Amino acid sequence: MSRSLKRRDDLNALDKRILNRLQEDIPFEKRPWGITARELGITEDFIMERIAFFKKKDIIRRISAVFSPRKINFVSTLAAVKIIPGNINKAVKKINSYHEVTHNYRRSGEYDLWFTLVAKNKKRIARIMRQLKSDKNIKEISEFPAIKLFKISVKFPV
Amino acid sequence: MLSKLDKAIIGLISRDIPLVKEPFRDIARTLGIKERALLKRIRFFKASGLMRKFAAILNHKKIGFRYNAMVVWNIPESIIDKAGRIMASFDEVSHCYQRKKKHEWDYNLYSMIHGRTRKECLSVVKKISDKLSGGFDHKALFSFKEEKKTGARY
Repeated sequence: MSRSLKRRDDLNALDKRILNRLQEDIPFEKRPWGITARELGITEDFIMERIAFFKKKDIIRRISAVFSPRKINFVSTLAAVKIIPGNINKAVKKINSYHEVTHNYRRSGEYDLWFTLVAKNKKRIARIMRQLKSDKNIKEISEFPAIKLFKISVKFPV
Repeated sequence: MLSKLDKAIIGLISRDIPLVKEPFRDIARTLGIKERALLKRIRFFKASGLMRKFAAILNHKKIGFRYNAMVVWNIPESIIDKAGRIMASFDEVSHCYQRKKKHEWDYNLYSMIHGRTRKECLSVVKKISDKLSGGFDHKALFSFKEEKKTGARY
């Protein structure tokens, strides 16, 4: 739960404009913040100050490039596990220990955890699946590889 | 084929870049290349579609999007492209994939829906369902705890 920022309304109109703009590509130029600031009619120092604040409050998790794993010869997949009742925390710890696991969510339904993996090849994914399958806290593991991508666009109107 | 240098660039820029006036200069220095050469590669990654975006990743909970439902659907193969396009057309849907079915898991289309409330998510599910107009079996798997969210390591 968010402690530091109780309500969305705590962000003013300018903050929202900054956050909406930053969810689009930053300029691939020498001074990306300076250019972005100018677009918004503010100064470079000011936008950098706000970005630092947003990061401190964990509103911005990071500013980074996002690649399409497949296109740079990596493999991604989705997996789900059913857990031995009472042992979920141990299972979470085990699953999260792989740097290949990028997202991991507890969800309603028959599977307790749903997580995504990005790995350098299929062999590595298969190896992780095997290791998790033999984990004593995990009752069942299933992999749901993608066949077709229809959309990926993670952008939130602030 | 990606060169060794490309891989090194991808590895570095997939992590949070430094919050300094000239972040690419710092990154280029780490790589031992010219800033101009780095920017040229980044522009190439974007233009070629290898890179989806270079942007801020927000914590959706902190900006009010507290609920997300991964909705799984059982859609006949013959109309799956149409169904996928319909789902993708909703702003509230961030991801939509066709995935393999499994034994005892008769779902082949997945859509991730974000909303400020549970009701908001469910109303999008309803709208999608109405638009598909086939009464296809589906269920919304709401997340109740985020255990991990990070970028890929390349």
